[in-house]
Amino acid sequence: MRNGGDNRGRLLLISLIVTSLFLITLDLRGVQVLSGLRNGTQSALSPLQSVAASVFRPVGNFFSDITHLGRTRGEIEKLQASNEKLQQALINRKNADAELAQLKSVLDLAGTAKYKVVNARVISLGSTSSFAQTISIDAGTNNGVRQNMTVITGQGLVGVVKISYPNSALVQLTTDPAFRVGARVAGSQQIGILSGQGTNKGVLQLLDNRTTLKVGDVILARGSQNNRPFVPGVPIGEVSKVDNAAGAITQTADVKFYVNFSALSVVAVVTGAPQADPRDALVPRAPVPTPVPTVTIYAKPSESPTP
Amino acid sequence: MFARRFLISFPIFVVVYLIQETIVSQFRVFGSGFSLFLIFALLWSALGTPELGALTGFGAGLLMDLSQSSSGPVGQWTLIMILAGFSISYLGYGDDNFRGNPLSLVVIVALAVPITRFLYLILGFMFGGELGSATHIFTSLIASGLWTVAIVPLLMPFVTRIHSGLFIDMSR
Repeated sequence: MRNGGDNRGRLLLISLIVTSLFLITLDLRGVQVLSGLRNGTQSALSPLQSVAASVFRPVGNFFSDITHLGRTRGEIEKLQASNEKLQQALINRKNADAELAQLKSVLDLAGTAKYKVVNARVISLGSTSSFAQTISIDAGTNNGVRQNMTVITGQGLVGVVKISYPNSALVQLTTDPAFRVGARVAGSQQIGILSGQGTNKGVLQLLDNRTTLKVGDVILARGSQNNRPFVPGVPIGEVSKVDNAAGAITQTADVKFYVNFSALSVVAVVTGAPQADPRDALVPRAPVPTPVPTVTIYAKPSESPTP
Repeated sequence: MFARRFLISFPIFVVVYLIQETIVSQFRVFGSGFSLFLIFALLWSALGTPELGALTGFGAGLLMDLSQSSSGPVGQWTLIMILAGFSISYLGYGDDNFRGNPLSLVVIVALAVPITRFLYLILGFMFGGELGSATHIFTSLIASGLWTVAIVPLLMPFVTRIHSGLFIDMSR
């Protein structure tokens, strides 16, 4: 090949490249065979992914926790050393508790807004080779999950169903660079477009140049026509930084998402939304400071000191 | 003979693909994690002839395209992997000093993984995809290179043994 004598090799390379270009063309033209192949692969893989999620998710959560708890790593390692045996047993229990808590919170949120939801477990955390940010869930068309349905947790918006298979679905996360959602600011009702950036923050661009944002403003989904892909009123996040560039046509701001995308285990797909917009009913309540009890101790010297 | 050996290696790729899709995809680690399948495919290609590298890239790319989490059209990974597989095998073809040195294999695969992913991103952008923030892309590419440096030495003993068992006289 390097000596230039191998025409067969060149022919093979060109044939393979042409084949791949042919495949791309077919797929972009919407030929059903290729999407059927992908669906078939996913149908075959989803039961295996469900089993693997049950077995390996506690381990995955364990590594994820270590990654995100850098500040207290020393303390964690100290505790790990002394509780090594107990921890393994507790991890499974914690995992179940966390799933239960997530399920409860998502049902609370859905109940407040009167959303009709289908609960699902996260069975895969998406591609690690491409830059798309997705998750796979164990509910699909057999459970009423369709393309372009809103996916939420108790904290707020997770993403939107991109592809629905019979027993699973692919969800595009809010953090995905290709993600766009119409958003509004709770209270002031200013509207804008929020886009994912590949990180745990999104960028909100307001549509009206006469309005202003401030840090701490809560951002909600504005909702789509017929509630797809987005039902209205779902909390997305809060403004963490406002960009006041002098030359900007409209104001933009960084929005920190409410949902912790590295700890997703249970989500809900909104299959039906109420006729009435819940407006600001789902805005997270500010934490109420708990009163700190004070104890007064009176010290009284004894009358006869002991020798 | 060549086709038969190539077909024998296919189940190995399917097993690695299943491990990637079912087990590795459960972990979210620093910098969006790593793709065991991509690393395996490039390492396998690096050990073979350019013809075999292109064919390996074709098969591996096709499997990657069938992944549910693949965001691009079917054929996008195939195209990129054909070029990556051919290039990585062409670089070391005929140079036994290169193939015999584990360090050079680690370096070449660690460079090839982020380059392949970057080319996939660019091609996806040409097909109308979104790029995302530059920081995220940069972090992800650097992290994938670092993960590759950590994983290739672990994979290499298995991959080289299986590969030499199947293709020893094809690559000479």
